[in-house]
Amino acid sequence: MNSRLAPRAAAGIAALAVTGAALAACSPATSEGSADAAGMIPVVQLGDFGGGSNPQVNYNPFSANRLGVIWGIYDTLMTTNGYDCSETPELATEYEWVTPSELHLTLRENVTWNDGEPFTAEDVAYTFGIINDNAALDLTGLGAHLESAEAVGENEAVLTFDAPSVADTPKILATSIVPEHVWSQQEDPVTYTAEEAVGTGMFTVKSFTPQRVSMQKNPDYWDADKVKVQEVRFVKDGEAQINQLNLAKGMYDAQYMYVPDIEDTYVKADPDHHGYWFAPGSPISLLMNNAKAPFDDLAFRAAIMHGIDKETLVKRAGEGYTTVASQTSLVVPGMDSWLDPSIADKGVIPFDAQKADELLTAAGYATDSDGRRLGKDGEPLAFTFITPQGWDDWTRAANEVVRSFEDLGIEVTLNTPEFQTFEVDRRQGNYDLLFGVRGGTCSMFQNFNEPLHSDNTAPIGKDATTNESRFSDPAVDALLDQLRNAKTPEEQKPIVVELQKAMIEKVPFVPLWYGARWFEYNTARVDGWPTEDDPYAAASDNTIIFKRLAPADGE
Amino acid sequence: MYFLRRIGFFLLTLWGAVTLNFFIPRISGGDPAAVMAQKIAGKGEQVTPAQIDAIRAMIGAPDIPIWEQYVQYLGNTVRGDFGVSMSYFPYTVTHMIGEAMWWTIVLVGVTLILSFIIGTLFGTWVAWRRGTTFDTVMTVGASFIGTLPFFWIALLLIWGLSYTLGWFPASGGYSGFFEPGFTPEFIGDAAHHFALPALALLITGPIGWMLGMRNNMVQSLGEDHSRFGRAKGLSGRTLAIHYGARVAILPNVTGLAMALGAMIGGTVLVEQIFQYPGMGRLLFDAVGNHDYALSQAVFLFIAIGVLVANLLADMLYGILDPRARRKEAS
Repeated sequence: MNSRLAPRAAAGIAALAVTGAALAACSPATSEGSADAAGMIPVVQLGDFGGGSNPQVNYNPFSANRLGVIWGIYDTLMTTNGYDCSETPELATEYEWVTPSELHLTLRENVTWNDGEPFTAEDVAYTFGIINDNAALDLTGLGAHLESAEAVGENEAVLTFDAPSVADTPKILATSIVPEHVWSQQEDPVTYTAEEAVGTGMFTVKSFTPQRVSMQKNPDYWDADKVKVQEVRFVKDGEAQINQLNLAKGMYDAQYMYVPDIEDTYVKADPDHHGYWFAPGSPISLLMNNAKAPFDDLAFRAAIMHGIDKETLVKRAGEGYTTVASQTSLVVPGMDSWLDPSIADKGVIPFDAQKADELLTAAGYATDSDGRRLGKDGEPLAFTFITPQGWDDWTRAANEVVRSFEDLGIEVTLNTPEFQTFEVDRRQGNYDLLFGVRGGTCSMFQNFNEPLHSDNTAPIGKDATTNESRFSDPAVDALLDQLRNAKTPEEQKPIVVELQKAMIEKVPFVPLWYGARWFEYNTARVDGWPTEDDPYAAASDNTIIFKRLAPADGE
Repeated sequence: MYFLRRIGFFLLTLWGAVTLNFFIPRISGGDPAAVMAQKIAGKGEQVTPAQIDAIRAMIGAPDIPIWEQYVQYLGNTVRGDFGVSMSYFPYTVTHMIGEAMWWTIVLVGVTLILSFIIGTLFGTWVAWRRGTTFDTVMTVGASFIGTLPFFWIALLLIWGLSYTLGWFPASGGYSGFFEPGFTPEFIGDAAHHFALPALALLITGPIGWMLGMRNNMVQSLGEDHSRFGRAKGLSGRTLAIHYGARVAILPNVTGLAMALGAMIGGTVLVEQIFQYPGMGRLLFDAVGNHDYALSQAVFLFIAIGVLVANLLADMLYGILDPRARRKEAS
């Protein structure tokens, strides 16, 4: 049962080729404005580059404190499109799971590091080796079950895992590959800041100050023809209000931040060029502590699923920037291809207070003469909702949830403890209601396994790793174990359909809205950004986007 | 004896400060690795257990009892080893403070001394013209400006001088176009960025000094020696400067010593609003990130600054005012 994802990879190459042709065709012969004669963009101005308030050089792609510019310096094996989950080959041209725990990688030939040395399969083996050997560099958890990484010939590498790991494909492909000849000379890869920034990526570091970082085009990049950007500049963000003024002035070619009232504050300033696309991201869900009454009662949870007014929540708390989440927990429309077609409205459950009321009463939660909803012990129900202090959009959303509960006759008190307290309570199950965020990645296994599998939860008082709602169901566990071993999308799909049904029938938690992926673009100087009408990539997929950018036509 | 006692008191207070520095952040609880992972991901973004585990491995969760950690910390502090910053790993605390310190020393030092000079001069002038319309306007006006929230003044300056007129950059310590160093380009650039936060500090800075000086001087001008001077027929100027100001300035000088000592802590608010890369912002972020090593060291520097200034003021008093020494001895 060999599964090859080569057709998808080939489609990716084809898509890139078409793009390249299209770019070549529409590049203006007489470029104006900021474009120089060769149809190049001299500078793309972006915003923050990470690193806290006093950024220090750190180009170690496996360090938690790395700077946000590493995507330009290093290549990954493949880019997984954050919007539609398609794969674009980079240093790997093909991959194949020979067994669910053995991955064969075919690597690109004729690639050189930006210091002139050739890239080989040894570099890939070395990279996975240091992740395996250093827990501090293992931000994805791959090292925990990676057994070995070996080079087989010039352009072939084999990764062996001690458990089925097909579900980790996106994480494996997203690993930045570093040069063995540089890194093996260092004393400790954990404290190495990679100041030399040797990579195979489309850019190299031009300059660094804690205020500004600049990268320039790598002329020896293996796909250099497609890169029309000569320099990318990042500038440290100021205070939020100041940033918004800078954005409105057109200082940035793209930004990735929340902006209140964006039509008025940003688009209006230059309607011909200023645009935004807030694509739906991971769903934010109402978690009900399944280990406590009455949330241990499916009938109660199902009633709540119908009784939360998600539309009003999105409108008031989310400024209408995002959309109501599907109960399947899939992110629609990006993941439409995974949806069970028999589910109505893509799994978005309509708000129906009447139905919620009837379901609650039928399940034995009647109201008393004052309209208060009573528990099965005859006492009025009263819950506490916790959300971290200072997470204003969550607090606003929590207020809407509290309102919906109150309409059902249930009193809810909203508390906003400090994040560290909230975090401990969430993990240990010391709560009634809170918001949680899981899912929305390109690994369907991860999306469902993290919040649903009983292995990931714990009794109240003990740390639950990812299943904080403390849902536990043997049938769902069995489905997840099956999904872990499924090697192809074709094998995965029927299981994912079953899991969607479980989400609706067993209501482990209630996805409410999709977190917005903030993205503002400005086409005055640079064209080719992904938009709502042309969602060819997620706004964060820089390696795809920067091969599409072209100088603006000028007008 | 007096001086030994002062030095002993200084060491005891320093030990107290160091100990509080160690225990207070640890009492607040929570998981620093989880806080840091969430900070990196951003508010409301997804964090996986693998990220938290990697950060925990990176910063090295201590597996020895807290008392041993405390002894270790005391030893390291005495040796001047403040460890590695968690939020800037692998950079050391010493490196981070070394970068941030100069910005604060220049910004706060210059504005503090200017505020002191301006405030004291105006205070003297106003006290000499006490009871006149000038006095009323200055005193009431200064008190009014003093009640305005600082961030409001700062944002108004940014809006007016940076956005509307475009004279000064709104944030940062420098633009980043020039390599930091003692080059004319970089110093000019840094000065350009320095102007707005300095102006904001100079609007409210002199008020305290001015009002303090005015009140002290009004008092000393009412005392017997001033009255005697006037009876002798001294000129107004001599009386104001030699009889009034000279006596009145003493408490202000002590205040200045203390303020200079506290300077190392930076002004968190002004550095936050103007995104100035100094100690205040470093401290603010270190506390928010649960970066124990970094926040401990910054607090320690603040404590040492204040205590040394205090010690110097005490010593100075002992020398200048014999009564202080005699009181101790009896």
